[in-house]
Amino acid sequence: MAMMPKRVKHRKSQRGRMKGNACRSNFVAFGEYGLQALEQSWITARHIEAGRVAATHFLHREGKVYLRVFPHKPVSAKPLETRMGKGKGEPEFWVARVKPGHVMFEIGGVAENVAKQALVRVAHKMPIKCRFVKRRHSL
Amino acid sequence: MGETLVFKAKNREQTGSKPAAKVRKQGRIPAVIYGHKKETVSVSLDAHKLAEWLHHGHRLMDVQIGKKRETAMVKDLQYDHLGRDIIHVDLMRVNVTETVKAKVPIELKGTAKGVHEGGIIEEHADHLEIECRVSDIPESIIVSVKEVGIGDTVHAGDVELPENMKLVTEPSTLLVTCSLVAAAKSAEELEEEAPTAPEVIGESKETEGEAPEKE
Repeated sequence: MAMMPKRVKHRKSQRGRMKGNACRSNFVAFGEYGLQALEQSWITARHIEAGRVAATHFLHREGKVYLRVFPHKPVSAKPLETRMGKGKGEPEFWVARVKPGHVMFEIGGVAENVAKQALVRVAHKMPIKCRFVKRRHSL
Repeated sequence: MGETLVFKAKNREQTGSKPAAKVRKQGRIPAVIYGHKKETVSVSLDAHKLAEWLHHGHRLMDVQIGKKRETAMVKDLQYDHLGRDIIHVDLMRVNVTETVKAKVPIELKGTAKGVHEGGIIEEHADHLEIECRVSDIPESIIVSVKEVGIGDTVHAGDVELPENMKLVTEPSTLLVTCSLVAAAKSAEELEEEAPTAPEVIGESKETEGEAPEKE
């Protein structure tokens, strides 16, 4: 079973819409290198898990991978061959809402070229365009 | 950081997001100059020249507005949502001889002992706030991590600063740690741990079980 919250206030949620850019989580905060989203999208728990596996497998237990996204939002769906109506469907999967600028994955403790290669592999698992970013030292 | 360059600044008559966007389209960056209990002035600076100057680690500059020239220090920078482009600069009027507080980036030097033993270095803070004369502000503060073993930490108070500098950051602030990398959990392990469905706050387990029967 993929990532999902342990406790929720409501079992189902409305779809909502994503406007604007990321105002938080838009810089590398924990590691030294990160993968930044350039588009907005729902990132499913399966995408996140696939990205995590790709990065940890490539790093061979070197360095540390930080996940900066968590699938908080349930997405419901109706079963196949069901007539419309009869209420909202059951939660099928969980997603994270990602806006442009959101740093989704971070890596620390490895050289830049290694981190870049690992994050390229993660980017291939993502449904959106991403870019490699480095930690920006503050003033 | 002691070097200065003369930036020709243009006065901005209109302020706000739309006029600022227009300024950016012209290849300039909106900026504001304040300090020394003088009037705050809205100006714009050449984007390319400023980016290059900051990229080289400089923070001090001479700003020429008309015939007036002032020495200023970059106090704050604002970036766009992707962290690519500078969208606004705060400049503070300074005298080269006065003492100011400044944030200086930390540069880790050497390979830690713990790294050879299989650990990794984690940087928890990337800058220190120091108080010193404007002309003495360094580009970076070098922190040696050669002697850091697994489980060791480096705090702000442990950093050796030159005599003319005073630490403003809380000495107990954690800068660097060295720790062993915990083995990543496999997909199977995570599957075992993860719940099949989250618990709903406010709904007892009994009612949850009864709900489908009622339907």
